[in-house]
Amino acid sequence: MKKPRLILREQPLAGGQPAAFGVGLLIALIVGILLLYGAGHEPFKVYSRMFDASLGDADAWAKTLNRAVPLGLAGLAVAIAGSMGLWNIGAEGQIMAGAIAAAWVARIGENLPGPILISGMLLAGVVGGGVLALGPALAKAKLGVNEIITTLMLNEVAIRLVQWLIHGPWKDPDSFNFPLAPMLPDQGRLPFLFSRAHLGLILAILSIVIAAVAVRYTAWGYELRIAGSSESTARYSGISLSKKILTVLLLSGAIAGFAGSIELAGTADRLTETLSNGYGFAGIIVAALALMRPSGVAAVALLFGAVQIGGQSIQTMGVSSSVSTILQAFILFGAIGAGVLSRYSIRLDNNSTTQQESES
Amino acid sequence: MANTSPPKSYEDFSVELNAIQKSFPGVRANSNGNLKILKGTIHALLGENGAGKSTLMNVLAGVYRPDSGEIKVHGTAQIFRSPADALNAGIGMVHQEFRLIPSFSVAENVILSSSPPVLKAKEINKQVASLADRYGLNVDPAQPLWQLSMGERQKVEILKVLWRNGQVLILDEPTTVLTPAEVNELGQILRRMANDGRSIIFISHKLHEVSGICDEATVLRQGSTVAASLDMKITNQEDLARHMVGSSPMVTQRPHKGNAGEPLLEITNLTALGARGTTALNALNFVACAGEIVGIAGVAGNGQRELADVIAGLRQAESGSVVLNSVNATNLSPQKRFELGLAYIPEDRLGVGLAPRLSLIDNAILRVYQQQRRGPFIAAKRAQTYSENIINQFEVRAGDPSGAIASLSGGNLQRLLVGRELDTKPTVVLASQPTRGLDVKGVKAIQDLLIRQRDAGSAVVMVSEDLDELLTISDRLLVMEGGHVRGEFDPRTASREEVGLSMVSNSDLTPRS
Repeated sequence: MKKPRLILREQPLAGGQPAAFGVGLLIALIVGILLLYGAGHEPFKVYSRMFDASLGDADAWAKTLNRAVPLGLAGLAVAIAGSMGLWNIGAEGQIMAGAIAAAWVARIGENLPGPILISGMLLAGVVGGGVLALGPALAKAKLGVNEIITTLMLNEVAIRLVQWLIHGPWKDPDSFNFPLAPMLPDQGRLPFLFSRAHLGLILAILSIVIAAVAVRYTAWGYELRIAGSSESTARYSGISLSKKILTVLLLSGAIAGFAGSIELAGTADRLTETLSNGYGFAGIIVAALALMRPSGVAAVALLFGAVQIGGQSIQTMGVSSSVSTILQAFILFGAIGAGVLSRYSIRLDNNSTTQQESES
Repeated sequence: MANTSPPKSYEDFSVELNAIQKSFPGVRANSNGNLKILKGTIHALLGENGAGKSTLMNVLAGVYRPDSGEIKVHGTAQIFRSPADALNAGIGMVHQEFRLIPSFSVAENVILSSSPPVLKAKEINKQVASLADRYGLNVDPAQPLWQLSMGERQKVEILKVLWRNGQVLILDEPTTVLTPAEVNELGQILRRMANDGRSIIFISHKLHEVSGICDEATVLRQGSTVAASLDMKITNQEDLARHMVGSSPMVTQRPHKGNAGEPLLEITNLTALGARGTTALNALNFVACAGEIVGIAGVAGNGQRELADVIAGLRQAESGSVVLNSVNATNLSPQKRFELGLAYIPEDRLGVGLAPRLSLIDNAILRVYQQQRRGPFIAAKRAQTYSENIINQFEVRAGDPSGAIASLSGGNLQRLLVGRELDTKPTVVLASQPTRGLDVKGVKAIQDLLIRQRDAGSAVVMVSEDLDELLTISDRLLVMEGGHVRGEFDPRTASREEVGLSMVSNSDLTPRS
């Protein structure tokens, strides 16, 4: 009897990842047809609505791109840490920390001219995210404390901090006692590129390109890749692991914080409890889909953004939010699952030894 | 030791292994493994490192499937698909690395492989305690495992097999984790089990322990059984050692050139701890001079690995000093030592010496990437030229130099690693098991490179478990035992037998040097 077995490929199949991505997407859409049909909807109408809402025209593209910006930056934050084998599960909180810092700059500098104010807010976002990552980074680098736990727990801290600020000291006096922070000053908002797509798009693309080049072509990135491939090799060649861990986790937090300040100045316009909107957690999926390579993050984030925007749009057609969420999950899991499978080859095993045959 | 004579029932073997063959990619671990174990005896399985003892026992314990050959248990042929099958047939193995769960209690660990559906702690503790008492395995069933010493953990492993009513117990080098007093105690426990009709297979290369504990011995050499079921009462240690190391084969000495120059590596009173916190190096001294190859022989686990790590700077020395080119390097980083002229070819090629997921180019420039910087960038052209030079000079056969090196063959990986290290013109070369697992051509190529480096005036220190190799290319041969240098031999005059004996014998068999 022939048994199929999965064998890990020594080299990933050339072009296998994008191809698997496509196949997975297709399978997910087919399964989705069954789901939608079962739930009493017309699958093709739903799909065409999803497509129109996310990629149909300039306004749709703007929505998708604005969504892809925080997803891409959060994914980049996770991927940078991941290329050294570290898990930053705290991007969600670091986005919040970045937004808090940026909002604070907007409060104290509300009369500054736009370019200066925006630059200050973005810089503050970077610092804010980095500060929240500092504790886990130091603990991991100096004491070996598991960064997954520490970064995860700090998410909660950052979100509570936002809640306290908007219920307390930063509550807008003109909000009729609603827990709302004041709106940003007009000159503190990111300019639009087209439709409502804001400047964050260019900042995110720049960040991803710089990070991808740094990891691939610089001595710093080289050391990062060595340490990610084998800690013992890094030690052998004199690379200081603790320094590397410290800088990489700080950088990861800073990128997430940057995403927070962009989200604040580009879309949210005021500090809210829902500003981070799960982007930090979605960033883990984005990074995993991109195989922890900064260069792959942009494409994955775009797909992710389109799926989210499309998924939301069909809720106005009467598709329940749970069906929409399941559909989104299908599409993403289809792509992830196929992506993982593309690293394997299937071999039919011939049970050749006489012993085994006598048994079976 | 006063052994009570075991009950002998010659008509019944508990285990028979006939003509077992087992190969791994590139290595034939067992070519003709034969073993017959009498019921109620303690049977020693002896052999040098790499003789195939562990493989043969893993075959018996169901961990590996033999390529061919026959396993009989109590007279019936068996095919084991997993360790669980072997356990069901009454065969259990205590591996060198214990397989226990630290947060569980002793009793919970013991019953792990066959626990009743409902766990009543009191009941189980009582049952485990009574089983333990029967054989003098004094451990507290309720104690959490993490509190136990290594010797006590070993008892838990033995209890695990007894709990499954194992009739054949395989112990893989059980004494390495024990103190001398614990070794005595283990001997008594095993004797009680044997008197109870069980068979014990005792894998070892410490001859003096074996002769005190075991009834019979089987010796493996290069994967085959060379002496089966020797009666320990009439076999002396020297005979056993001769079986283990073999008769002196023709060892062709490689040409030696000139005399050794000034000392380049001086190790003085070096003491260091091993992974388990035990003393691995104990006031060790030696010197390696320009233009000589110093071979370091010894049975695995006598401090060779730690010695290499301490010299390379990957392990902290407790006391003593490492002097490289007259500079005290004891507390310097690995990179500083490299800058002082130390090249290190580690035992673990892939994972220490090389980064498996990175490309050949990335791996080739590991030692020199800082010199290839242009601003923050690594100059890609320069890196490529540099690695092409290594590829050509050291004949590394690789398809695409920008592909991950994990797909290269062992020989090519080692050429890349050795080439990278030697290309930097080191004054001291430290090579740990540099030819292990390579084919004949690969072995020759690596040896040639080391000899060439010696002839160029470097001091070469080569740690190896292959005695023939050391006798072939060393200018001086040191034997390590128990964390220090036990003896020094001149490979031109010393016989293989003589060196081999000093490696495997206890201290009353001093080498005639």
